[in-house]
Amino acid sequence: MITKLSHTTLFVLDQEKAYDFYVNKLGFKVNTDATMGNGYRWLTVNPPDQPDLEVVLMAVLHESMVKSDACPDGLDQESRDAFKVLLEKGIMGAGVMHTNDCRATYEELKAKGVQFKGEPREQFYGIEAVMFDGCGNWFSVTQPKEM
Amino acid sequence: MQLTTDIYQRIAAAKVFIDQNYHESIDLDRISRQALLSRFHFHRLFTRIYKKTPHQYVTQTRVEAAKLLLAKEGISITEVCNMIGFESPGSFSSLFSKQNGYSPQYYRNIAWLKKKLAKEQPRRFIPHCFIEQYKIDGSPAGV
Repeated sequence: MITKLSHTTLFVLDQEKAYDFYVNKLGFKVNTDATMGNGYRWLTVNPPDQPDLEVVLMAVLHESMVKSDACPDGLDQESRDAFKVLLEKGIMGAGVMHTNDCRATYEELKAKGVQFKGEPREQFYGIEAVMFDGCGNWFSVTQPKEM
Repeated sequence: MQLTTDIYQRIAAAKVFIDQNYHESIDLDRISRQALLSRFHFHRLFTRIYKKTPHQYVTQTRVEAAKLLLAKEGISITEVCNMIGFESPGSFSSLFSKQNGYSPQYYRNIAWLKKKLAKEQPRRFIPHCFIEQYKIDGSPAGV
């Protein structure tokens, strides 16, 4: 029986930019920041109230992930190009993040320079605004309706 | 009662002000001025929106900032205390311990140990499937 999600991956083009967004703007906590001998940076962050969920900010175009004899399951050129195009267009993702107050979070993040698709809107499940992480992914910021 | 966009913007501006100035001597007067609201109204609205008082939020922000600094090398705990806006190392230490259940020194020891391990043995922190799939550590196939 599966019990919980411990790791999930967000593919990003620029890890520094992703670090700034998730840590400095959203308030995620750095879980692990380790650099391999080949220069690959393993960077994971935790959502503020979920210390046991690691979000891997994965630099998908790093050379170590290129398909080769040493890395037969790596990404071939076609896949790398596809990732690059999708991330540059900002249409990868997505996910849902919860907040206690969507309108407050929207105003706060907007003041910090975060891009949103539009203003918060009422949905049948709560209040929602869609934001872009600036690294290729988008998320719903949802204030769940109180039952 | 539904709050207006204007109120949300004012309260959010004050929160961002705290985020950017927590290390200074900021009190309710100064913070509420950012929102152009009286102390009383600001306190009530901030607490309603964020489920904690402005004072609690300032303290939490300072403690989180302290954690980042404690994990760094070359900064003493007293310096950390000064850098995040606490006046006395004693009050910082006791508040940090109360909020986290361990002292700043203990937190620092653990953070440094993890950093050392991550530097020396990064594979310990990575599920093997990621290494197997992408060879992100540069290991040869089959390892």
